[in-house]
Amino acid sequence: MQTEATLAHADVSELDLVRRCQAGDTEAFDELVTRYRTRVFSMIYNMVHNEQDAWDLAQDSFLKAWKSIKRFRGRSSFYTWIYRIVMNVTIDWLRKKHVKGVGAEFDDATQLREVDPASKTVPQTEALPYEMMERDEIRTRIDKAIAQLSPEQRAVILMKEIEGMQYHEIAEALGCSIGTVMSRLFYARKKLQNLLRDVYENI
Amino acid sequence: MKTFEEKWTAWVDGQLSGRELLEFEASLPDKAAAEAEKAGARKLGELLKRELSARTLTNEEFFSHQLREKIARLREAPARQAREARSTWWTIPRLLWTGALSLAVFLVFTVLVMREKNPAEESQYLTQILNARVDPVVSPNATVSIFEVKQDRVTVLWTEGLQSLPADYAAK
Repeated sequence: MQTEATLAHADVSELDLVRRCQAGDTEAFDELVTRYRTRVFSMIYNMVHNEQDAWDLAQDSFLKAWKSIKRFRGRSSFYTWIYRIVMNVTIDWLRKKHVKGVGAEFDDATQLREVDPASKTVPQTEALPYEMMERDEIRTRIDKAIAQLSPEQRAVILMKEIEGMQYHEIAEALGCSIGTVMSRLFYARKKLQNLLRDVYENI
Repeated sequence: MKTFEEKWTAWVDGQLSGRELLEFEASLPDKAAAEAEKAGARKLGELLKRELSARTLTNEEFFSHQLREKIARLREAPARQAREARSTWWTIPRLLWTGALSLAVFLVFTVLVMREKNPAEESQYLTQILNARVDPVVSPNATVSIFEVKQDRVTVLWTEGLQSLPADYAAK
């Protein structure tokens, strides 16, 4: 997968940065964090639906990546490798949270969060108040629908639809077979289609 | 052998081709409904991408700053542990030396005190006094009494009627 970050920083190769990290260069790691922090955070946020938890889990993920960077052999891209860490950390957290049964999974504060104006997916023209309310409502619906999926199904659908990752990359990130990825994708889509049909059909 | 779910997913994502595609489409009982589902899945994908990609990390620099601090602490930890381990290693010999020295000082003082506590049964002066005799010619009515409290190391010589002090009473 050719990442946006890779294109933006083509002058310094990712592998070179990884080698420097393996030699203990924290500045090189800082560069890698800068490249992937937003995507990692966004991915986790879409899975846990809480900004503070997503922040903490993203921090944990990068810290684990730093600790184990010497074990990275370069057989996959750094992005796939770090996604594996991110998924392990997040899925593990979701499972523990599910076992403990802590609170509601959906963070209502999400509705009030402003969207980055620099984001490519945000319309360039200013949205009218009712349009903003409508968008907030749609996002709330999506979040609630995703919250009904298992952690593994969430991971698969988000990696496929948001990140545009290939089956084998998702399988590598989750440490499972391609068949399992496709199967999880099937059930995740079915469930979300049932829950969000009226949303995507009316846009 | 792919399962139905795997084939369906591959079909929705346009990953089936050739004979596999024909076989799968031929196996669908209601192709029109399946096509509608496929279109729905694609719309769902577009919806998710449009709505969820916009979520960005606020305070990006603070995020990196916090992470840098954690990594710095992580790097500092082994050095600190080594220092702590080294100081612990030095504490044990120090403790042994201090203990041995304290014991030696205690023994020295004990010996000295015990020696002080056990003086000679009789002092040189007392022996001299006890051996002395009053000359009845010089002092016919003289009496000499000695009171001694050994535990307090006190000896009192009480004389009465002495005309003169014999020369050999002088203490040396």
